[in-house]
Amino acid sequence: MIETPASIADLDLAACEREPIHVPGSIQPHGALFVLDAGGTVTKAAIGALAEGVVAGDPIGRSLVDILPDGARKAVERLDGRLVAGRGPEHLCFLRTDAGAFHLVAHRSGDSIIVELERSLGDEPGSFDEVYPDVRAFLDAVQRTAGIQALADLAAREVRRITGLDRALIYRFDEEWNGEVIAEDNGGRLPVYLDLRWPASDIPAQARELYRLNRLRLIADAHYEPAPIGPDGEAVDLTYSVLRSVSPVHLEYMRNMETMASMSISLLSGDRLWGLISCHHLDPIRVPYHVRAACEFIGQVVSMQIAAHEASALAARRDALRTVQGKLLAHMAAEDHFIDGLLANPTDLMALTGAAGAVVVAGGRCTRLGETPAEADILALVEWLSHQDREDIFSTESLAAEWPPGKALKDLGSGVIAISISQIHDSYLIWFRPELVRTVSWGGDPAKRAELGPDGLRLHPRKSFEIWQETVQLRGRPWHEAELDAAAELRVAIVDIVLRRAEEMAALSERLTAINKELEAFSYSVSHDLRAPFRHIVGYAQLLKKFEGERLSERGDRYIETIIESAISAGQLVDDLLSYSQMGRSTITPVAIDVASMVAEARSNLTMEGDAHRIDWRIGDLAPVRADPVMVRLVVQNLLENALKFSRDREPAVIEIGSEAKADEVVTHVRDNGAGFDMAYVDKLFGVFQRLHREEEFEGTGIGLANVKRIVERHGGRVWAEGELDKGATFFFALPAA
Amino acid sequence: MADLKPILLVEDSPKDVELTLAALEQCQLANAVIIARDGAEALDYLFARGIYEKRKTADPAVVLLDLKLPKVDGLEVLEQIKRDAHLKGTPVVMLTSSREERDLVRSYSLGVNAFVVKPVGFEQFFEAIRDLGMFWAVLNEPPPRGSAPRP
Repeated sequence: MIETPASIADLDLAACEREPIHVPGSIQPHGALFVLDAGGTVTKAAIGALAEGVVAGDPIGRSLVDILPDGARKAVERLDGRLVAGRGPEHLCFLRTDAGAFHLVAHRSGDSIIVELERSLGDEPGSFDEVYPDVRAFLDAVQRTAGIQALADLAAREVRRITGLDRALIYRFDEEWNGEVIAEDNGGRLPVYLDLRWPASDIPAQARELYRLNRLRLIADAHYEPAPIGPDGEAVDLTYSVLRSVSPVHLEYMRNMETMASMSISLLSGDRLWGLISCHHLDPIRVPYHVRAACEFIGQVVSMQIAAHEASALAARRDALRTVQGKLLAHMAAEDHFIDGLLANPTDLMALTGAAGAVVVAGGRCTRLGETPAEADILALVEWLSHQDREDIFSTESLAAEWPPGKALKDLGSGVIAISISQIHDSYLIWFRPELVRTVSWGGDPAKRAELGPDGLRLHPRKSFEIWQETVQLRGRPWHEAELDAAAELRVAIVDIVLRRAEEMAALSERLTAINKELEAFSYSVSHDLRAPFRHIVGYAQLLKKFEGERLSERGDRYIETIIESAISAGQLVDDLLSYSQMGRSTITPVAIDVASMVAEARSNLTMEGDAHRIDWRIGDLAPVRADPVMVRLVVQNLLENALKFSRDREPAVIEIGSEAKADEVVTHVRDNGAGFDMAYVDKLFGVFQRLHREEEFEGTGIGLANVKRIVERHGGRVWAEGELDKGATFFFALPAA
Repeated sequence: MADLKPILLVEDSPKDVELTLAALEQCQLANAVIIARDGAEALDYLFARGIYEKRKTADPAVVLLDLKLPKVDGLEVLEQIKRDAHLKGTPVVMLTSSREERDLVRSYSLGVNAFVVKPVGFEQFFEAIRDLGMFWAVLNEPPPRGSAPRP
């Protein structure tokens, strides 16, 4: 790696991702590094400036035991059997030499053993015992913290206190490895970075992997001269090394930030890198080995706390969402249509996914709640969604990335969750979140607070914020796993409800079909079997009268007449009932009907039968309708018959018939000046066997108007009546216009 | 009068038999009336088998056929009559208790000559029987083979 500032300027930042930083081929100069084979012979070595003179002559090919001072002899004997691969360095001993005092540490790297000597400071703690009180204080304090924020604040404060560094930040990664400073302890010599954000590219993947494996890294001086490992040092994996040299890009970054020393402690939640305790110092500084060990220990405690907090936060979040979901389900179940249940509770609906807006699109209807894009945009989105071959739930943090027109909706809908709630229709429940940049900018632009250094530096926190803004443009705050699960679960619940409703409907329709069949069989047998006895009564009574009439008294004759009349009227009742039931079963064949001629025909039929009393017919314009002629004839016949019947004691009877043509229907009315009815009973007028007059006043079975209603309604029309006792009645029926 | 063909009345209800006979009697029709109480018996008579294997009487001038009958129903009797080369010229009047549209349609499709809904009032029934009986039993000569009779 080229390391002069001039060359660094030419470096491609993207190349950072490819830089093999775990094999830098050099170390930082405050110590020495020896690579040993299984027998303890040095195969490679690097001697930093601060370790000059620790070994005499070229160490390559010699046994480490032979070249180190006697004090180290015991510590480095038979190292091969003692070190396990994949672990960080083990502290072997504190070594005093003529060249200075050193911490001697070793770890295994593949087949090799790597022994490092780190130059100690004159007054630093010689063992972990000396830093133990600090660790203990931290542990006590941790017990009293609640929540990740309090923990982060405590960790920043304690690490800075123990190390004496100028600034300690708690840096947290998001799902996409962008970072944010969530806590800070600052001695006042360095700028405040709290709330600043960095793009994922600032800490590339291989650097994150190194942080994950080696949990503490120190850069003592941003201007250091690396000490090369010879010979062929590039082949040495320094993942776990304490002296590993870092990328020149990173050193440039540090110099731009005007922090000459830095120390990072990794924070993990489980196996995942959660964040860093990132410390900086204005001047070069070496944090003593045991202080770093204490920090590493603090990092581990914080990690465990984080993992516990995250697990319980996730559980709590799920619990909360489940409560919301339960409420929504209860609302849905309470309504005839589940969508009404959702719409009536916008707060719960949005809380379920932590969205700023939600919309239900069903049956071409679009109902918006909270902050959502305009209806036209939503319908366009639904149109696009319906053409996607995707799973039942669609979610994105950046709608624009998936659907270019979404760019225009970024302020209201960058983040989108859509669940399909019907397979047949394009019905969706969609949640929206605004663009994150907008959200963050509202909190104050951190770039304005970071008054550091001159502009134009390529690697600079302010620059980083701009890059971060570009990275997260058109993106909403990421959807939490629990929120996505809640949406998916809600979908399952909705689909269950829809399915259950459909099944209920199917079962109902099956039952109806069965009942209908039964009814048909019933009415068929009634039509044959119930009519016969009445016929027989009438037949025999008439025969009796015919053959024995002369021998009957006047009273006997009257009895026979009554028997005949009653049986005939019972037979009529059966016939009427049957016609009513047939009206509901027979098929409708709609054609254009000339209502005027149908009225004329019915009128002539009726007056032929009727008595001679005066009838004043007032027939207006009658608009044609579109309906089944056989059935409409029955309606007209019936209403005219009624009008005549109830006005027969008026002199003259006035019967007025007219119609009003509307956009798609014709309302025809028949008005008489007869007996009328009390509007209080208007609801009973059209019921089967409902009579509003006594039998001796007006004869009839009470089926006629029920038939009228049935016929009109089977055509999709309406029928109603207005009347006043003794002042006449008006019957209206609305049928489709011809 | 002896060569007058009989009237075949197919009716399961004894009351209807009696009322029909009373009506026919009042029409003063001279034709003998043969009564079959179910569809199977009617077919036996028509095809001269079973108890009617050795009947001396002629084929009926008209069949007054109830629709709902035990064993073999009226529609099936009608179908067999109209399918038989020898009998298909025999006029059949279907008598039913009610005007069920599907019965009506089915009867006409099978070639019934008349379809009468028995009215509740006896006078109307009497008139119907008289009109039909007179027409078919007395006035109407059986048509030549192969041509359908018209009421």
